Amino acid sequence: MQQTTCPACHGGRLNKEALSYKVGGYSIDQIVNLDIKTLRETVYSLELSERQMLIGSQVLKEIRDRIDFLMNVGLTYLNLNREARTLSGGEAQRIRLATQIGTQLVGVLYVLDEPSIGLHQRDNIKLIRSLETLRDLGNSVIVVEHDRETIEHADFVVDLGPGAGINGGYIVTSGKPEELDAESATAKYLNYSVSIPYPESRSEGNGKTFTLKGARGHNLKSVDLSIPLGTFTCVTGVSGGGKSSLINQTLVPILSSHFHKAKTVPLPYDTIEGLDNLNKIISIDQSPIGRTPRSNPGTYTKVFDYIRLLFAELPEAKIRGYGGGRFSFNVKGGRCEECKGDGVRKIEMNFLPDVYVTCEVCKGDRYNRDTLEVHYKGKNISDVLKMPVSEGLGFFDAVPRIKRVLETLDAVGLGYLTIGQSSVTLSGGEAQRIKLARELAKIGTGDTLYIMDEPTTGLHFDDVKMLVSVIRKLVDKGNTVIVIEHNLDLIKASDWVIDIGPEGGHEGGEIIAEGTPEQVAEVKESYTGKFLKDELEKSRLPADRMS
Amino acid sequence: MRSSITIRGAREHNLKNIDIDIPRDEFVVITGLSGSGKSSLAFDTIYAEGQRRFMESLSAYARQFLGMMERPDVDFIDGLSPVISIDQKTTNRNPRSTVGTATEIYDYLRLLYARVGIPYSWKTGRPMKKQSTEEVVESILKLENGTKVYCLAPIVRGRKGHYRELFEQTLKQGFIRVRVDGEFREIEKGMQADRYKTHDIEVVVDRFVISEKSRGRIAQSVEMALEMADGTVILSVQGDHPGENRDMLFSQKLFDAESGVAYDDPAPNLFSFNSPYGACPKCSGLGYSYDADPDLVIPNHELSIKEGAIRYMGKPREIFIFKQLQAILKEFDADFDTPVKDYPDELTDMLMEGSGDRLFDVSYDFRNTSVTYKHVFSGLISGPRSICREQIR
Repeated sequence: MQQTTCPACHGGRLNKEALSYKVGGYSIDQIVNLDIKTLRETVYSLELSERQMLIGSQVLKEIRDRIDFLMNVGLTYLNLNREARTLSGGEAQRIRLATQIGTQLVGVLYVLDEPSIGLHQRDNIKLIRSLETLRDLGNSVIVVEHDRETIEHADFVVDLGPGAGINGGYIVTSGKPEELDAESATAKYLNYSVSIPYPESRSEGNGKTFTLKGARGHNLKSVDLSIPLGTFTCVTGVSGGGKSSLINQTLVPILSSHFHKAKTVPLPYDTIEGLDNLNKIISIDQSPIGRTPRSNPGTYTKVFDYIRLLFAELPEAKIRGYGGGRFSFNVKGGRCEECKGDGVRKIEMNFLPDVYVTCEVCKGDRYNRDTLEVHYKGKNISDVLKMPVSEGLGFFDAVPRIKRVLETLDAVGLGYLTIGQSSVTLSGGEAQRIKLARELAKIGTGDTLYIMDEPTTGLHFDDVKMLVSVIRKLVDKGNTVIVIEHNLDLIKASDWVIDIGPEGGHEGGEIIAEGTPEQVAEVKESYTGKFLKDELEKSRLPADRMS
Repeated sequence: MRSSITIRGAREHNLKNIDIDIPRDEFVVITGLSGSGKSSLAFDTIYAEGQRRFMESLSAYARQFLGMMERPDVDFIDGLSPVISIDQKTTNRNPRSTVGTATEIYDYLRLLYARVGIPYSWKTGRPMKKQSTEEVVESILKLENGTKVYCLAPIVRGRKGHYRELFEQTLKQGFIRVRVDGEFREIEKGMQADRYKTHDIEVVVDRFVISEKSRGRIAQSVEMALEMADGTVILSVQGDHPGENRDMLFSQKLFDAESGVAYDDPAPNLFSFNSPYGACPKCSGLGYSYDADPDLVIPNHELSIKEGAIRYMGKPREIFIFKQLQAILKEFDADFDTPVKDYPDELTDMLMEGSGDRLFDVSYDFRNTSVTYKHVFSGLISGPRSICREQIR
């Protein structure tokens, strides 16, 4: 089945009668399909009769105010007809922010979670101004954020750490941005005394490329995309410029139907060449991983399946006739039936919150006594679930396929998680990196193309450093990595940058700069280049100081 | 007013019994490594406690519907204001939620179009005009002489309710027939409509046969209907069969004389794609529809049917559908060995979309005797299409 534009309303969603009404010469479906920037100009210059003005002025004021709020949070490229479910997390959040500013409430405490996601550096300052507007109205604003510019503009910063998971949870330092303890990790990155290293010389790859020609979906203006293989390529550009249209909606569908026979339909394009040099594509997008209490890093990365099989292979298990299912806490057989393998029991208290108590039968072990009598190197299956990943690394040293998965988890900086930690207790950044680890643990062919969409979401400077080294490892093995990203720290560490724009919406859709980060930094028309130039200069300073 | 939010002994998730004073009315950033406890402090402690306190202020009765918030693991929080969280998880997955509806700009646009929008006829593109009673009568008299017409006063348009009083009142006024949701009925004592459904109710003001002589009566009836129904009248032209009845809506409000299109006065819900009065009837307001893709039914036009061109059916077998195909191909001088690309366009279209009313002689075995009957062909795409419609519903 294919999704096609409705033949009756041509995407206007309304019946013929409703679509035949016009205000200032525009029907309502024409209005909602304008991007916010054009819409603003249109609404401000509507030609109305005196009577229309008299009746409509109040309504028009409300519309104009709201459009201005949207402009102020940098969403100039969206149109009103855009479905909310197709927005990125950051975009949706900025829309809600725009609506909140519109309510003009006072004395409220706003709590935001990384509103800068998916926002180009150029529009970041607009977002910060909006947050300051909220504050100036008389509200308190608390933002969880990693973005350098946002931290620098804050009145007060709280830095948590020093490590992650069990090693975190302390306040490292707090105060005005300039008063932060200079020894804290965040402050070091802020004042550039530490920065994410980037290679002096950029990898040139293996000399081969693949080329996509004539991509013209959405706002793309017949773009020819050429990616050097065996490199780490960043695709950048202002929001709405056409990055996702080009990569996620044209390139990924072409490749996944070519390599994996997926039935996805790419946006229109002419030709694609050079696919012979690749043999696999792995795409890591922004969709969240499952969030049920029974899902954990072990089950999500499938490493727990191997662990269960390992336990089933043990002589003790064979004597008893236990299979892999016996060691699952999700099916009957090995799990504790009192708590159904949860380890805790939920007691409903009607109008008070539910209370969780440790299961009195298994004492939180999740398995029944017989199952727990099977030991591998002195640990039973429940002990393994409670084991941090980093510890498991040594423990499963002799089992390569388990070790390999645990190694990737450790490499993306999740060594402190326990193998059985419930997904619901994971932070957003952790969940995303588990996803990353699962994909990375798949055996790379050396000719694999990895495509990632904003992998720095929820990552602190220090985490980004880790991510860069993971990507490097992939590239060093001959793989190709394409990343859609706004984070300058990651962009400057890449080998090749492709900047799409120059603006969002219909003023975008062209490749305006292409080359190494240094080359792109010199392109005047590119907003990314401008910020990249700044960033490269600033982060070079301490290195000079040291030498 | 306190100048800071005071937190003492926060232990939610991995927080290590921390104390902090966060200044109020300022722009505060919480940062740190991924997994260091930022969200635990901002969302699971500060937001959760603010939310919980708000809930606590509600009555126990109201709280049982909301479900209770868990008390965060913290000794003491002071200086909290009402909290609004703007996080990333609460995006609406419904295709009917758009940027316009989320920002409420669309609601204002609907109001704007309803109040100051200028209507044009969707048929001719001409601006709509309002009509006087005389003009309405003239339009009716243009119908063929002898046509039977019901004159109806629409008094309920798409509203819920049982309308018992309305029926009673109408009966008292001397009208004995109504049309409820398209069905003519006599008003009985105690009659009522389904309370929870939306209804269209019209009072039958008069029944007449079109002729120049009855002009006076028509004018009188129309005038009465217009008065009862606030400026609108429906003339239900009776065909030879009940299915051929058609309604003509006349209005003192908006009407295009050339095309016969009449609009009701616009209400904001006319411009809502989430209301049955505004939504496109074909896609019910989504702007797109799902349909079977012909390229998936016959992926490779180089193949003949014998080679399995119709992928989901495979190669010809002794079953009815292939007998049918054989009969159709014969009419176009083609057979199972002809590659699909050599079919005339008309044939390809017919295979996909069906033969409509056209019948074909199909020979097949029925109870061990070979018979030939005339059959229509419903099209290769209709099967997948109807299966899919069912699943979407």
